Amino acid sequence: MRDLHLSLNQTQRVRLEAALHELQSLAPAAASAAAVTVADTIPVNQEDNILKGHGTSDQDGEVVATLCGVVERVNKLVYVRTLRARYKPEVGDIIVGRVIEIAPKRWRLEINFSQDAVLMLSSMNLPDGIQRRRTAVDELNMRSIFEENDVICAEVRGFQHDGSLHLQARSEKYGKLERGQLLTVPPYLVKRKKQHFHHLAQYDVDLILGCNGFIWVGEHVVVGEKTKTTEYQQKSSDDAENFTPLETRKHICRLANAVRVLSALGFTLTVELIIETAEASVSSNVEVNNMLGAEFYVQTAEREAKRRADLLRKKNGAR
Amino acid sequence: MEFVDALTGFRVDGRRPNEVTPTFPFPTAPPRVTQSHSVLLLDFAQMRQLKGEVGVVARADGSALFEMGNTRVIAAVYGPREVQNKGQQVNSKEALVRCEYRMAEFSTGDRRRKPKGDRRSTEISLVIRQTMEASILTHLMPRSQIDIFVQVLQADGGTRSACINAATLALADAGIPMRDIVTSCSAGYLCSTPLLDLNYVEDSAGGPDVTVGILAKMDKVTLLQMDAKLPMDTFENVMELAIEGCKAIATYIRETRKINGLNMLKIASHKWITHRVKGLLVEDEWLCPVQWTGNS
Amino acid sequence: MEHLRWRPSVNEREFIESALQSDLRVDGRHSFDFRKLKISFGREDGSSEVQLGETHVLGYVTAQLVQPYRDRPNEGTLAIFTEFSPMADPAFESGRPGESAIELGRVIDRGLRESRAVDMESLCVVAGKQVWSVRVDLHILDNGGNLIDAANIAALAALSTFRRPECTVGGDDGQQVIVHDPEVRDPLPLTIHHMPIAVTFAYFGEGNIVVVDPTYKEEAVVGGRMTATINSNGDICAIQKAGGEGVMSSVVMQCLRIASVKAADITSKIKKAVDSYTTEKALKKVKRLPASLPQKINVTDVTMEDKGDGELETQTVKTPSDVQEISKDPATTGKASSHEDAQPMLAESSNAEVKITSSSGAAGESEEAQEIGSPKSLKDAIKPKHKRKKNKK
Repeated sequence: MRDLHLSLNQTQRVRLEAALHELQSLAPAAASAAAVTVADTIPVNQEDNILKGHGTSDQDGEVVATLCGVVERVNKLVYVRTLRARYKPEVGDIIVGRVIEIAPKRWRLEINFSQDAVLMLSSMNLPDGIQRRRTAVDELNMRSIFEENDVICAEVRGFQHDGSLHLQARSEKYGKLERGQLLTVPPYLVKRKKQHFHHLAQYDVDLILGCNGFIWVGEHVVVGEKTKTTEYQQKSSDDAENFTPLETRKHICRLANAVRVLSALGFTLTVELIIETAEASVSSNVEVNNMLGAEFYVQTAEREAKRRADLLRKKNGAR
Repeated sequence: MEFVDALTGFRVDGRRPNEVTPTFPFPTAPPRVTQSHSVLLLDFAQMRQLKGEVGVVARADGSALFEMGNTRVIAAVYGPREVQNKGQQVNSKEALVRCEYRMAEFSTGDRRRKPKGDRRSTEISLVIRQTMEASILTHLMPRSQIDIFVQVLQADGGTRSACINAATLALADAGIPMRDIVTSCSAGYLCSTPLLDLNYVEDSAGGPDVTVGILAKMDKVTLLQMDAKLPMDTFENVMELAIEGCKAIATYIRETRKINGLNMLKIASHKWITHRVKGLLVEDEWLCPVQWTGNS
Repeated sequence: MEHLRWRPSVNEREFIESALQSDLRVDGRHSFDFRKLKISFGREDGSSEVQLGETHVLGYVTAQLVQPYRDRPNEGTLAIFTEFSPMADPAFESGRPGESAIELGRVIDRGLRESRAVDMESLCVVAGKQVWSVRVDLHILDNGGNLIDAANIAALAALSTFRRPECTVGGDDGQQVIVHDPEVRDPLPLTIHHMPIAVTFAYFGEGNIVVVDPTYKEEAVVGGRMTATINSNGDICAIQKAGGEGVMSSVVMQCLRIASVKAADITSKIKKAVDSYTTEKALKKVKRLPASLPQKINVTDVTMEDKGDGELETQTVKTPSDVQEISKDPATTGKASSHEDAQPMLAESSNAEVKITSSSGAAGESEEAQEIGSPKSLKDAIKPKHKRKKNKK
């Protein structure tokens, strides 16, 4: 919502504001009080032995917020969840990143964290797939695996003793991403789920929702295909492989624009919502290049408001 | 020149100067919200109209536009990000904070081209950096750097204060942990009257100009700049007035941030997945503090 | 270059901090004590050397005739220039002035200029055409901490002893400015209304511990710093607290009260030093000493200790009596001792007396003699080239 600088006409503005207002009113009312800003006191029961989590600090015995956001509690842990912030890695997160530097035995990746992440040569599968010690030759050939400015997908391995963030790519599903688009959204819009790799069979498109807010929309790659092809076969089939059908390209763009619209409106990104938005654009005959226009934004906001209202009604009805 | 009208007691722009006894009219009621969700307008009797807006620079991690009357300042925050020039890193346990202050060439009446990095802007950059450093919890972001860029778009007195307020808003927008909200306001002393938030005409009258920056909750002065001559007890009154002004701005900034943050969250999802508890994903409706009674 | 700055080791930092907690400073001073202050003057007017503990600052004042600013046609100008050489501290960059150099320059500039300590209107020669532009160069020779205070004292001391050549307006159109040679007409001192003294406070441990005049080591662990520029009347001329640790406003006011006491103290030190320097200078001109007799100029060492002042008193009283012994001219001796009683701060009367001798041919001879006799000092090495540039039009 914050990055929305559209040229809306009068009716569109009214409709958008109504939809956004409805969305706000659908959120539980009790939540309104839980918002804090920097230096607000968070009331706690002193006898509870509260654990102070992220975004809180102790000032003269009071728990004080150090971030703007929403207070959350899990048992005794109190923390502030902030919205607009850089990515906070957790072990096991699937992330999409961009190689910015090749250093001895490692790649450095930009992943929207406060530092660059490190992917060691030893924590990644070699192209031949054989488990062995990395030799000096492997080190020299690092550029043949990933070059500068390659977009790759990896998993957070953990923090080292010196505070640097290490990644790993020990599976065939990780690795270089080609033939597609990289989108960056605020990380709070991507929720941690069981599944971050999505193969949208109807479009022949891969969608990777990186926890760091980097989203990959690209042509579907069959896992393991690359390693199976032998050297000479690969050469002959290079031309064919580099070709992405126009239809797939259009699908990639459509899905990418759906992500752009949703993130600009500030909706949490889920596969269902992205597909739904893309479908809606097809059914209402919106061209790919018109998806970023004002009208589609308003439509998307209205649709989402309706969807949430329905969900709420269903839930209340079930009770 | 008459800066305080002898008859009506009004200032050059029609504001009321402060009475000798500081009966400062602070709003006890929440400030009046106008315009869209992210923009707040607020009126105080002696301060010029405040306006703060976040998210004005799309590429930045955090950004804000802050207006104090006709003074208009834009701030953008990048980071915490990887340290770009390792030579500048002094302490690897703390984030490196950098600040660049610039005055747009068209911001003042005379359109003189000002060289980049003149003495005045170098000093203000230093002042803003150190003021923000006092509040940022740098030890939580080791081995990284935070860049603050402030640009004056329109100068009408109190640019330094407006820059600090804009930087605070932008840092909060970028989700950078801070010890406290830093706000700043200036005050002067003309026609034997302490005046809050001087505009350009009053500022260039040659009277004393006191710029104060405070850590709002802790009620501590972090920035204090003053020039021209002033007896000590008068200075105390002027400084107290400026501190009161800072507090008013702090209330304003808090309200802006709170409304803004909450709206974003409500729109994001009607459900909010809480943190992992013992390795399980717990999906639940909003988990709220039990005995939350609002901000005191 | 910031990485070249000395940084305390972990235990050094802890030691300094924990010592301060128990009201102890690493050099054994009390919280509100200044270090030993030593003010000395160069051979020429308008140069000073200030030593505050280990901090060593040189001030040098020069003036030249320029066109005034358009918005202030009948006022002279005053500009402060700072030179942080890497000799004093490896953290200082050579070439472009760094942040700290600019801050220091601006703080001193604000204190002196905005409070109108130096009378600017008297520096006007022809309104809108020719005014004196006074330039204060401050060279940091050794950084032992608290540069601002030391540099401010150096600037004030140099300004107090500075003499600008006298000039008259004449010529055919009545617009010609004639600058008189200092040999012909005595140079004039600046009019200084009051002395804004900078006093720096350092805050430690969340602003609860306050010390005055921090050393280099204390500056390395400091949480916040505040420089208050105050004159002896208790008027605040400038304050600079550029961020850092927050302090309560009551603490700020307390600091200002302390600063005004310190300012009065330092003002008297500077005045005393300046007075004895001008006396010395005046006497020397009168005496016409032979070349073989080396003259010591830097006798006016002022210390912060109380007994030091006493010593100084006796010293100044003693000087004329020495002169009496050496001098064979009874008339000159009488003059010298007479202006000992009534000595104004800017020593205008002493100038008036010297006039008698300076116009005579012998004055040049004595000048020469002094040049040979006086020891070469650092000031000669760094003297700006444009010194005393005369715009004879």
